[in-house]
Amino acid sequence: MPPRPHPSRRPRGTSPSPTRRTLLAGAAAAAASVPLLSSCGSGAKDGPLTFWNFYHPAPQQDPNLVAQSDWFQKAIDRWNGAGEHEVSSVYMTSDQMNQRMPVAFASGDGPDIFLISPGDYLRYANGGVLLDLSPYMEQDAIDDFYPDALTTRRDGDKIFGLPMEQEPLALFYDPDLLEKKGIAEGDLPKDWDDLLEMAASLSSGTTTGLVLDVDPGYYQNFTFYPWVWQTGGDVIDPKTQKPVFDADGPRAALDLWGRAVASGATPRTRPANGDIVSAFSSGYAAFWETGVWDVMSLTDNAPDKKFGVMPLPAPKGKESSTILGGWAWCVNARGKDPEAAARFVVQSLGSMDRECIDHCAVWNGPAKGNMPARKSVDQKMQAEGSYDEEHQKIFHEEILPTGRGEPRFPPVVYKAVSDALQSVELAGGDPAAEASRAQQTIESYLETYEGGSLV
Amino acid sequence: MSAITSRERRERRAALFFLAPDAIGLTVFVAIPMLLSVVLGFFWIDGFGNFDFIGLDNYVRMVKDPQFWSSAKVTLIYLVVLVPLIFVVGLGLALLVQQKFPAVGVIRSALFLPYVISIVVVSMVWQFMLTDRTGVIATLLSKIGIDGLSFLGDPKLALGTVIAVTIWLQMGYYMIIFLAGLQDIPTEYYEAARIDGASARQRFRRITMPLLAPTNFFVLLTSMVAVVTGGLDMIFVLTSGGPANSTSLLIFYIYQQAFLFGDLGYAAAVGSVLVLFLLIFSAAMFLATRGGRFSNDD
Repeated sequence: MPPRPHPSRRPRGTSPSPTRRTLLAGAAAAAASVPLLSSCGSGAKDGPLTFWNFYHPAPQQDPNLVAQSDWFQKAIDRWNGAGEHEVSSVYMTSDQMNQRMPVAFASGDGPDIFLISPGDYLRYANGGVLLDLSPYMEQDAIDDFYPDALTTRRDGDKIFGLPMEQEPLALFYDPDLLEKKGIAEGDLPKDWDDLLEMAASLSSGTTTGLVLDVDPGYYQNFTFYPWVWQTGGDVIDPKTQKPVFDADGPRAALDLWGRAVASGATPRTRPANGDIVSAFSSGYAAFWETGVWDVMSLTDNAPDKKFGVMPLPAPKGKESSTILGGWAWCVNARGKDPEAAARFVVQSLGSMDRECIDHCAVWNGPAKGNMPARKSVDQKMQAEGSYDEEHQKIFHEEILPTGRGEPRFPPVVYKAVSDALQSVELAGGDPAAEASRAQQTIESYLETYEGGSLV
Repeated sequence: MSAITSRERRERRAALFFLAPDAIGLTVFVAIPMLLSVVLGFFWIDGFGNFDFIGLDNYVRMVKDPQFWSSAKVTLIYLVVLVPLIFVVGLGLALLVQQKFPAVGVIRSALFLPYVISIVVVSMVWQFMLTDRTGVIATLLSKIGIDGLSFLGDPKLALGTVIAVTIWLQMGYYMIIFLAGLQDIPTEYYEAARIDGASARQRFRRITMPLLAPTNFFVLLTSMVAVVTGGLDMIFVLTSGGPANSTSLLIFYIYQQAFLFGDLGYAAAVGSVLVLFLLIFSAAMFLATRGGRFSNDD
């Protein structure tokens, strides 16, 4: 039960008029009751369990999207077919979900099941709305998840979300464009300096050398973290839980992104509005930092277009490292029937049942084309030859093993890093000053932070 | 005597009856939410049912929050530049399309057209056109030897670009408002002035502007409110508040705090300050324009 403000602590009007004071007191009570509604709005057990997601029903007839939507439909059909508490999916884009979710939870009408990324995890976990799924899972199934996939969705033994995938980032490149400029695939950049030099030399006319993300947001930070990790640095030390952003490594990563734009290697706006398929097909970009999901986008939407994939280059003498994104299914602890919702999620993603493993292999294989979050699914996909495709093979063998789960930083930490990155990358900010400013912001926030660990 | 009183009473009842739907609607959907929003500013609220009364903490935090001040500065620049420009462009276009020339109706419609298109669609189209290197604008500029400008990616240009797109989007609407005001001015005044030898400039200064006073006030007030409370959709699509927070208007900052960061109490506090900011500007404008009254309306 959330704490209620003591009546004596209600805000009071300053006017001596009793009418106004009464009105303000009434307004305070009404305002306070808004959050309270959340604890009483979802008590009813009737009605189907709502599953908010951005896959099903398919928003359009793109074969990719239809395959993903069908996968969700099959999971729901299997559950509903067994006569359990019916699950009904509600489609919305991730932006719509961002806007509707807080309103829905505040009014006690949050979805019963929903998707979240690690970037959003702590807000929900600290808000106490996520149900622990571990009591509904077998130990074998828990152990079957790769630690990097599960770490950012658990707190000790409690598991608050089941990942459906792992999505590593890599450097995609256009071999035709490189060949035109006299660069063979054997001469691909080996470190940061190589990459910047080559990208700057490739940037001319309508062609851009290296596309890094430029729009401020969780996604930009997501694409930036591996460059920090490659230096041996971090934003927060997972062991001590102290910020370590004001250090050589993060400063070097900020500097790299700043130099990329300043040297003209990286454009200030992404070509083709960020659509790699159009950009590669039109010869607009030579290198592009993006994720495994674009392998399927390119092979399906531009089957004749050759492209290559390589691990993100590291600083000289350091090891390459990448980040593992991906979405997890969560259950609203205050939903209509959290127990049934948890069993549905576990049946679909977290059971040792053969049907579950096979179904997950379809998602990570033909439906979405990414890396699985579970060992058994990985084995099945290997047996089926899912990684025989050349790009998937590189992702699976070379890139995935260097991955680390996307960190679950709360908004203040995200924003501090984002402001530093934006300033250095696009406004000519000094990496040392910006790293120091971000560090101070994070330190001051963590002094009073209470909640899940920052990993 | 009593019959008159009874009639008056009936009329008052009728007036109340007719006013009631609007009054109830405004109270329920505007006044109460505004009041609640002010009150929410005194709470810490995470949006998941957890809240606590924290007095003025959100306001104290706001004073120390550099991002709040940065957004307030961006909003002030946006307001001070955009409102006069919209006014001048809207009035200029209205004066132009008030003239009788072939296809004037088509031109009026073409100028109004952007206003009826979805802001998201408009913003996406402009985003494509303003892309570095490959966008239409970059391609045209490169033909005349101007290269390397990034209208949406350079903090020095981004806010100006957003202002230009906003003017393009809204000029048609204000043109129509001005046109209606201009057409209300009796033509006899202009004819008399012409006979008296008044130049075009004198006619504009002595007849058009004074008689447009109510329209001017309406345009200034509504454009100001639209500028301060709107713009979220366009910023969201065009720049996401970047680059480097250079287009992060207060309304976008409120959106971020409420919907991306889940800090509803702080968002409500910033919202209250924004409304206060708007009230102060509205009052200043009211005083400066005398509420749109004609100069002899005292």
